[in-house]
Amino acid sequence: MNISKYPQILDRLAANYALGTLRGAARRRFETISRENATVRAAALVWQGRLSGMTELQSPILPDPAVWTRIDNMVQAEQQALAMAAARQSGQGNANVQSDDSSWLQGLWQGLWQGLWLWRGAAAAGALATLLAVVTGVSLQDQLEIRGKQVDVLSAQLKVAPTIEYVAVLLDPTSAESMLVTFDSKSQNLVLQRVGDYQEASDKSLQLWALPNSGGPRSLGVLGGDKVLRLATDEGDVRQVPTLAISLEPKGGVPSAGGPTGPVLFKGALIQKMI
Amino acid sequence: MDAIQTDTDLMNLLDRMANRDEAALKTLYDATSSKLFGLALRVVNKREWAEDVLQEAYLHIWRAAGDYRASLSPPMAWMGLIVRSRALDFLRRRAAERMHLTQELDEFLSDTIDGDAPNPMNTALASEQAWALQQCLNQLDNKQREVVSLAYLRDLSHSDLAEQLKLPLGTVKTWIRRGLEQLRACMARFA
Repeated sequence: MNISKYPQILDRLAANYALGTLRGAARRRFETISRENATVRAAALVWQGRLSGMTELQSPILPDPAVWTRIDNMVQAEQQALAMAAARQSGQGNANVQSDDSSWLQGLWQGLWQGLWLWRGAAAAGALATLLAVVTGVSLQDQLEIRGKQVDVLSAQLKVAPTIEYVAVLLDPTSAESMLVTFDSKSQNLVLQRVGDYQEASDKSLQLWALPNSGGPRSLGVLGGDKVLRLATDEGDVRQVPTLAISLEPKGGVPSAGGPTGPVLFKGALIQKMI
Repeated sequence: MDAIQTDTDLMNLLDRMANRDEAALKTLYDATSSKLFGLALRVVNKREWAEDVLQEAYLHIWRAAGDYRASLSPPMAWMGLIVRSRALDFLRRRAAERMHLTQELDEFLSDTIDGDAPNPMNTALASEQAWALQQCLNQLDNKQREVVSLAYLRDLSHSDLAEQLKLPLGTVKTWIRRGLEQLRACMARFA
């Protein structure tokens, strides 16, 4: 029987097919005929279209605001991954023509990118993605305009990253971010990442200081020339410390007892992450 | 609100999303999320699950926005189908992962048909096509409308429906047959 010649039967089958109540062998037979016969296929498509209106007729219910936050986080992560891929691509050809600003940001990216191991395996993927998205988003758009807000965002995001106990973003006197400091209580490591393009002279060293509420500055260590530095640190040395600072000292640093002898270059609040 | 105006607005937002305009996604979400959440909740019947479905659906809409125009569908119907298909996938995954707990799943999905319930159909944001369907669904008995709706939204066979609604199989078959016959006669006038 050629069902395309029996409009009533065809319509009934097509409606049942689209509704989903045509099942099993009957459904497979209908699908086979549809592939061969455009009239049958058209009848099925008409009913699929008609019934799809059912999805538009349900009563609205307000979802929890957290749903949007989750969607936004994932979209941001996707956007930044694309931006990063594009930047890496374009960065290969014209590395020498970058302005100071874009190389500053390139450095920040690379630092953060190389620092990925810090968070790997931790449940902080969302927070990290948002953090990276903020940073790379800046490089693509109006870099300078948004930079001022970055510290707040970086701090806020890092505050919620689970494996990191303490976080500081150290600023130079022009309020540009210069050093990202995190303390990982698991490995008892302070991790410092240079995020600016400051480079000390070859006969000088940068030295990290804790500035406690009472008592003088206490040395936490001397930085090498690397982009990322890890200092073994007892948690007691950073607990209750409101501020970190970096001073410019003679090569190799100065003894802790005497405090800094050179100028303070970067400074910032140390934030303890609350679980 | 003029339906065509709304469709055009939604289509413009989808076009902007195809160009990765995040602000357009936010606007679209604000305009459509409660409607689509109502749909997701209708299919999976649990807030927490419906929120997962909604999240997956909007990420899909974001990534597939460039394909929207080729679908030739009204924008809300296109998005509604995405939500429905994500919701059905969710239920299938859930059933596969937790075979021993399908009883629990059935419990969640079980509904009772209230013959006196007011018409739950809501035409906010609905396309003209959905308006026509709503006109025709309105002419059905409440219980027929409910069974036909659930069959479609949850992709259920007669026996699944009978189980979830705790009704005799013969009753479900009769309600579906009559409901669909009426719907066919009515929709033919809009063709």
